[in-house]
Amino acid sequence: MKNLRMKSARAAKDMSQEELAKICNVSRQTINAVEKGDYNPTINLCIAICKALDKTLDEIFWIQ
Amino acid sequence: MNIYRLTGVAVGIFVGLIICAVLFRFANTNKKLKSEYDERQRAIRNLAYKYAFYTVMFYEVLMLVLGIGNVQIPAPAYAIHFFGIILGCTVLGVYCVWKDVYWGMNNDRKRYIMVFAVAIALNLIPVIASIMGGSFITDGQVNMPVINFMVLMMLFALFVTFILKHIVDKRENET
Repeated sequence: MKNLRMKSARAAKDMSQEELAKICNVSRQTINAVEKGDYNPTINLCIAICKALDKTLDEIFWIQ
Repeated sequence: MNIYRLTGVAVGIFVGLIICAVLFRFANTNKKLKSEYDERQRAIRNLAYKYAFYTVMFYEVLMLVLGIGNVQIPAPAYAIHFFGIILGCTVLGVYCVWKDVYWGMNNDRKRYIMVFAVAIALNLIPVIASIMGGSFITDGQVNMPVINFMVLMMLFALFVTFILKHIVDKRENET
């Protein structure tokens, strides 16, 4: 399932996948895979993404 | 047993390993020998190593069965075993490329492309020289440059996978 909340949070911060990847210390392809729902990140990466986007884990990763 | 030939091969492998170490240190941004990968890349690479292992196992069992059945293959034993290694490396590389694990976190892309260009040139020279000199195949058996030919085939397979992956990604992004 696509993570559209992460994509929109990133877009709201005017951040490219490459920039977010650099902050989180992962590859651009990994950020792309998380947004596309092809890869379930570990909790450490989830936290790094949330910190970079100034969001909580619930806001980005909680499935209703 | 030819001790001179064995020593030559051992020295050749040792020198080759040193050249590889120097090239990889040159190609990595932090001058480390090993490429560094993130968590997704490591997970994909673990799977790729598993598939490569199964491939080599299957190939060696097949060769074992053919050997027991006295099936003659027009290639020396070293070429047959080297083909198994190349097959494993190809499976590893193709799977990694297809799953977006082609660049490590510390890889300098331009320098890596240069390393690949050097690898292609170093393998192409003996193949062309042996084909021109008519020594690629003698008495119905392939000779030593077949090893370089196999490496070139592996690099070609990786290149084709890279192009196909690029096309597929482009189509996905357009839709």
